[in-house]
Amino acid sequence: MALLHVEKLRKAFGGLMAVKDLSFHVEAGEILGLIGPNGAGKSTVFNLIMGTLKPDRGTVLFKGRDITGWPTYKIVDAGIARVFQIARYFPRKTVYENVEISVIPNEIFARCVDPESKTIERCRRTGLCTNEHCPGGDSCRCRSELPGMLPQGGLRRLELARAIGTDPELLLLDEPFAGLSPQEVDEISHLIASLRDEGQTIVVVDHNMRGVMRLVDRIVVLSFGEKLAEGSPEEVARNPQVQEAYLAGGGL
Amino acid sequence: MRALKFSLLLLTVVIVAAVGPFLPSKWMTTLTYAQLFAVYAMGWDILSGMTGQISFGHIFFVAVSGYTAGLLNLYLKWPIWATVPTGVIMAVVAGLLFSVPALRLRGPYFSLVTLILPLAAARLVIILADWTGGELGKFGVAPLCPDSLLTPLGEVLSRWNISLDAFRLYQSCNYYFFWVLMTLVGVGLVWLSTSRIGKILEAIRENEEAVEAAGINVAKYKIFAFAVSASVVGLGGALSVHTNEAVFFNSLLSLTSSIEMIVASVIGGMGTIVGALWGGLLVRGGEQVIREVAQWKLPFGSEGIALSFLEGWATFIFFALLLVLLFFARQGLLPLLVGMGKRRATGG
Repeated sequence: MALLHVEKLRKAFGGLMAVKDLSFHVEAGEILGLIGPNGAGKSTVFNLIMGTLKPDRGTVLFKGRDITGWPTYKIVDAGIARVFQIARYFPRKTVYENVEISVIPNEIFARCVDPESKTIERCRRTGLCTNEHCPGGDSCRCRSELPGMLPQGGLRRLELARAIGTDPELLLLDEPFAGLSPQEVDEISHLIASLRDEGQTIVVVDHNMRGVMRLVDRIVVLSFGEKLAEGSPEEVARNPQVQEAYLAGGGL
Repeated sequence: MRALKFSLLLLTVVIVAAVGPFLPSKWMTTLTYAQLFAVYAMGWDILSGMTGQISFGHIFFVAVSGYTAGLLNLYLKWPIWATVPTGVIMAVVAGLLFSVPALRLRGPYFSLVTLILPLAAARLVIILADWTGGELGKFGVAPLCPDSLLTPLGEVLSRWNISLDAFRLYQSCNYYFFWVLMTLVGVGLVWLSTSRIGKILEAIRENEEAVEAAGINVAKYKIFAFAVSASVVGLGGALSVHTNEAVFFNSLLSLTSSIEMIVASVIGGMGTIVGALWGGLLVRGGEQVIREVAQWKLPFGSEGIALSFLEGWATFIFFALLLVLLFFARQGLLPLLVGMGKRRATGG
């Protein structure tokens, strides 16, 4: 049984068919690339999975459970987390406090769990607090820094830390390299690869195939809301339909 | 932050308790009501200050609880220990009923609904004037400090060589009653606001979508904040009816009070609870200061220049001062002090 099963998902905005009867699945432990030119419907697919948008038709099965149309927080609690392209953070809370909110459970009267060690661990894991800056915990840089002080790469790390703070079984990454410097791309790419090596299942959306070729196990190519091709990165790159779609949309 | 807030809270309530015996009668009454108002402001702050859902009509919860408690006592002769909890429960029920549809509304629409609610309630109170006393109010509610309480209290005090006349004893009883209320509410809300729950409420104010994305049910936490807020404000409202020994339209449904709760919280620092408490005391205390000043005479000329014209201007001047404060110290007193303390600590 696949971890995530998307079945004949459909969403139209007025007359525009953004996602048309799309089906794909994600196996536990793999990194799946969801690739397509701008406007192919990639982000809409994420929105449909996360409950931000309700599909017109079709189902989303997570671990065999139908989660179609659930509210976002419930889907997150079920085990899917999303990293947004444009970081969504709490501007007046420190980096540490930003991550802490993800670690805190949803129950109002939950038994007292100490979120501190887990929060620090997530901050270190994503490089928001390096060991030299974060010896005992209290002197952590992430405890005094505000998100607004972080560079683009730092904000992406913050998004990742907030996402893995919810202990997801499936991580959705929306254009994780957009707007980053070449060096930051390398760093974030390493971070994602190391998460995969720990067994994290990931779906990564990108319009640029080159960026994710080395990272992904399998690729699904979208074009105008439909699945154009599916397979290993090599197979997909050789596919003439894909080449055409990308040439039309600005090159591979 | 928690330790700092508790220290500031403790310091404040100790001062308020300590000045009690030295207050002139007029000031004792003022501060009794100021403490009640500080409770309202803290109640407003836990919902609106923390989650950013600005309510313009929190006096509605005062009214629901106050009229419930007052009328139950007047007509059914329920004792205080029954009227006050019932009033609080009614306020919470009203809060819950109101929060569910209100959560679908954002920004100005939410605020507009909160503004209309007490206006509608005011109409209802006037329509049912035979029962509620309408705008004039209705007297005869059982007192918070009845003789059955004051007599033994006086005896205990006289054993400690403190002798108070009957009126002073009555005033002190009310003063310290509201002191206890303010202290308990302050401790409870400071604890809540600095707990895990408080962190989430604050996060909701900053970015609701990011809170959802963290796997947290925003609606549930907002409803919880609504219930807590309504219960705190309702508790104050029910007790105030017994202090006044009457249901007063002007104290239970005053739109000005509704706005002043916001002002109090903003002056002290929104979402800080202790700041709201300070703001509450300052707003009510400040109004009294202006009324006092209005009775002075400036030593010019043979007759002196009476400042009595200020009396009528008191509220106006007060609001004008508040505007100045809002322009120049928008963050509020508590964050201002904390910021100054930090700068000093870092030597910057």
